[in-house]
Amino acid sequence: MRIRSPLIVIASCLGMSCGVAHAGFGQPSPWQTGLQESDTTVMNALVAFNDHIMLLITLIAGLVFALLVGVMVRFNKRANPTPSKRAGNLPIEVTWTVVPFIIVLVMTIFSYRLLYFEEDVPTADLTVKATGHQWYWDYTYPDNGNFEFSSEMLDDQSRKPGQPRLLAVDNELVVPVNKVVRVRVIGGDVIHSFAVPSFGIKVDAVPGRLNETWFKATHEGTYYGQCSELCGMNHSFMPIAIRVVSEEKFNEWLAYAKNEFGQSARAPSPNKTAAIDKYNRGAD
Amino acid sequence: MADATITPGAKPLEPGPLVGWRRYVYATNHKDIGTLYLSFALIASLVGTFLSIAMRLELHEPGLQYFTNPQIYNVFVTAHGLIMIFFVLMPALIGGFGNWMVPIMIGAPDMAFPRLNNLSFWFLVSSFTLFCSSLFFPGAPGSDGAGTGWTLYPLLSTKGHPGPSVDFVILSLHLAGASSILGAINFIATILNMRAPGMTMHKMPLYVWSILITAFLLVLALPVLAGAITMLLVDRNFGATFFNPEGGGDPILFQHLFWFFGHPEVYIMALPAFGIISTVIATFAGKSIFGYLGMVYAMVSIGFIGFIVWAHHMFTVGLNANTQAYFVAASLLIAVPTGIKIFSWVATMWGGSIEFRTPMLWAIGFVFLFTVGGVTGVVLANAGLDRVLHDTYFVVAHFHYVLSLGALFAIFSGWYYWFPKMTGYLLSETIGHIHFWVTFISVNVLFFPQHFLGAAGMPRRIADYPDAFAGWNFVSSLGAYGAACGAVIFFIGMAEAFYRKRPAPANPWGPGATTLEWTLSSPPPYHQFEVQPRIS
Amino acid sequence: MAIDPRLEAEMARASPPPGPAYQLVEPSPWPIRGAFSALLLASGLILWVYNLIWPPWIVFSLGAVGVAATMIGWWRDVVREGEAHEHTPLTQLSLHYGMLLFIGSEVMFFVAWFWAFFNSALFPGDSIQVVRDKVIGGVWPPQGIETDDPWGLPLLMTAILLTSAAAVTWAHGRLEKGDRRGLKLGLIVGIALGVIFTCVQAYDFTHASFDYSGNIYGAVFFMATGFHGAHVIIGSIFLSVCLLRAFLGQFTPKEHLGLTFAAWYWHFVDVVWLFLFMFVYVWWA
Repeated sequence: MRIRSPLIVIASCLGMSCGVAHAGFGQPSPWQTGLQESDTTVMNALVAFNDHIMLLITLIAGLVFALLVGVMVRFNKRANPTPSKRAGNLPIEVTWTVVPFIIVLVMTIFSYRLLYFEEDVPTADLTVKATGHQWYWDYTYPDNGNFEFSSEMLDDQSRKPGQPRLLAVDNELVVPVNKVVRVRVIGGDVIHSFAVPSFGIKVDAVPGRLNETWFKATHEGTYYGQCSELCGMNHSFMPIAIRVVSEEKFNEWLAYAKNEFGQSARAPSPNKTAAIDKYNRGAD
Repeated sequence: MADATITPGAKPLEPGPLVGWRRYVYATNHKDIGTLYLSFALIASLVGTFLSIAMRLELHEPGLQYFTNPQIYNVFVTAHGLIMIFFVLMPALIGGFGNWMVPIMIGAPDMAFPRLNNLSFWFLVSSFTLFCSSLFFPGAPGSDGAGTGWTLYPLLSTKGHPGPSVDFVILSLHLAGASSILGAINFIATILNMRAPGMTMHKMPLYVWSILITAFLLVLALPVLAGAITMLLVDRNFGATFFNPEGGGDPILFQHLFWFFGHPEVYIMALPAFGIISTVIATFAGKSIFGYLGMVYAMVSIGFIGFIVWAHHMFTVGLNANTQAYFVAASLLIAVPTGIKIFSWVATMWGGSIEFRTPMLWAIGFVFLFTVGGVTGVVLANAGLDRVLHDTYFVVAHFHYVLSLGALFAIFSGWYYWFPKMTGYLLSETIGHIHFWVTFISVNVLFFPQHFLGAAGMPRRIADYPDAFAGWNFVSSLGAYGAACGAVIFFIGMAEAFYRKRPAPANPWGPGATTLEWTLSSPPPYHQFEVQPRIS
Repeated sequence: MAIDPRLEAEMARASPPPGPAYQLVEPSPWPIRGAFSALLLASGLILWVYNLIWPPWIVFSLGAVGVAATMIGWWRDVVREGEAHEHTPLTQLSLHYGMLLFIGSEVMFFVAWFWAFFNSALFPGDSIQVVRDKVIGGVWPPQGIETDDPWGLPLLMTAILLTSAAAVTWAHGRLEKGDRRGLKLGLIVGIALGVIFTCVQAYDFTHASFDYSGNIYGAVFFMATGFHGAHVIIGSIFLSVCLLRAFLGQFTPKEHLGLTFAAWYWHFVDVVWLFLFMFVYVWWA
């Protein structure tokens, strides 16, 4: 009986934990098998936990696979023409109940550590608010001049070389490096979801509900995510882009932004408005 | 009954089936109704499969090739999910095999409520009609069909879809739900009351246990879905504000109600699959299931715990951390009884005399692949990890492993196992083996890379993706085309069996097949066990 | 498929027949008719609401007639089969389980509506829900909502329903003792009180100070009590059918499943009301 090489299976599983095949920096890279490279404190913890869990489940699946192969080889009809009559064995049954229970218990403890690290929002150095709309994001800086701007995906005409397709936006969310940033997220019409994989964050943008997450970015750069809750026609086309800069650069940008963006969100670009109008009118 | 020569007080037994279409339209025979369900599931599976091939064709390459209006892609996603769950898996596993085999396995002549049984089936036909209608009415502005995902979350399914399409889907689900609730009541009454003398609960075949537990899940979970979608209906059409925050409502309420049904729903699909696998493995290993009582209690625990883990589908909606923590623990707990089942199946084969007939190939495939799907479920149960994996292709991979590589494999296993009994014809082992290998390799090529895509950050339900995801998407699509070839081989195998008409004996599988259906002819008489057998 | 009533009566006088312990049911047209009627009812509702057909209510009405006809025809067949002693003891046991499980499913349906109620009532000041908080003012009942005085009409309705249930229970007891007059009297009182309950409820609904639409209190209140009211109507119809059958001389002191099930259903309706009264009317008044 031909069996796919177990090594490939194991390597792939480990690949998912070690990020073999060059994990992206703020975005996915081709043929990536694992999580994106970590760029926040939370993501560091998440990746570490994930590595352990992936190893554990690879071993479990591997064990079951090995047992099946062994059983098929040793107890097929030719090798063992007379089946045994044994239909139970209390010690074994107790073992395979108690051992998984203990594994699960231990896992829960470590899982809780990660969970509470993610969910307990520390004192914030900066607060931003993200509002999900069909099909773009609005970002507000309530404590830094309360200005607001829209962030829309760049279409093929507007993109410059080097800007990733379906991820690059016209106005990124700009934050300083190594500072605790609190992100408050709400939905403007239907449910969306604010996600940045390399930051290890994802929180739904629910209308009427001000959810909260946080991150502390450890490297400068631009990091991308995509809307992660089905929100209609252009769900695939409303990415999130966060540009992490030094504190200096951030203050410079703040000054520029307060000037450039008013107290309310700039209206979406003309061709976007036209598209939304067409949509609402019901034209194809 | 209107025959005046009937002796007063004596009820003659039915002479035999009605002729022609009336036999099936007015059916009150569990075998006929089982056949109706299986045929229905087969037809619906063609639609569901077509939808999935269309999606994989679109995802074959980056860019929008076929779905220039991406809302239509969302409609396909929604239809694929709802059809596969409500019109393929459930009818096949419960309505089809359940109706056919449960009465026979317990030595009963039919179900407790034979007429109600037929209503359950025809409700499904009405339900499917309503669902298909939804595809041709306006949904979201500018297009037809409901593009909400099978989960129907408001506010996309309320103000986001002003047209009647979603209402058709809601009413379709009401009828499908009614069909299942009535069917479940039927199974419970039958199994509790109509077992042959000597068949205590602890002598029942595991497949019967699996249907019994599934039936309780259906009775308790489906009405909550009915409540939730009724709230959706009144929000959409009568100005209610259950889910509209501007009226004081809460969109998350829907998610709680939906998943309170939705999580038991996945066990409703898995438990009968477990029952089939137990039956088939015992048969072809030539020994009874290892740890029968443990298997029963495992299924009961899975059924019970399945009711108290629903919010692990909601880890990113902004639930309190302590609430999330509870659901992490409860969800991880289900791994224990599931593990018991996997190990028991292996232990059943241990010391056995395994014959690799077609049903057994599917069953062994199930044991390994359900384990893979199960362990990725363990990964997702950790809210901390679900943070990055929620709504990505990792979740899609997980549930397709347990459903398309789990429940579907169990259906094929049951199909090859019981086809000779139901039709009286033998299927070709050769074609069966080819079907298995083509499918096994294809679905793994299809779904394994999706773990990578999800880990790398590819979201669900998107018609186009960033270019970096192109590689594994291409591979995955190839797997889909292979799986479609597997489906073609399956139909060829059936056509061949009906053409060659190799007669099946009462028991084609040997001494390992110990359940009562193998004591009857193939196919069984129109009525069996009019005098019930006595079980020792 | 239906049984000749004269043959019916003859068979009813005979003793239970020999044969299998189970009832093998004849082929029946009711399932397909019922399923098709349900399809008409459902699609008719949409055609009506969206005004897609003229007259708007035509398909819905056809469906409603079909569903009603199916219920009447099917249950009439069941009654006839019962009166013809086709319901063996085991079949009767199955019917008991069936009714119990059906009521169980109805309980779960109400669980959904109570969940919706408690979702708002228990956590009105859930600060994360910023918009809802502003709209309802962090309290339950929401700011600006004037609720019924629970000790007025609602208390009266509770008394009516409890008395009605007592009457039905009494009627059941009288039948078991062979007192057919008591059976009919109790049923009449029970049904009358049920109808009065419905009328009082209708009055309460039309005189509520808050609207059904546009606010969460109205939504949960009217849907929960409304579905309850619908079940009161269904239960009243069920009891009325029992009354009719009582007058037709059906039901014996030992065998009267229809009455037993109607009584169970009525008690279920009563218990749901008690929960509604306790939580929706009294606790959060």
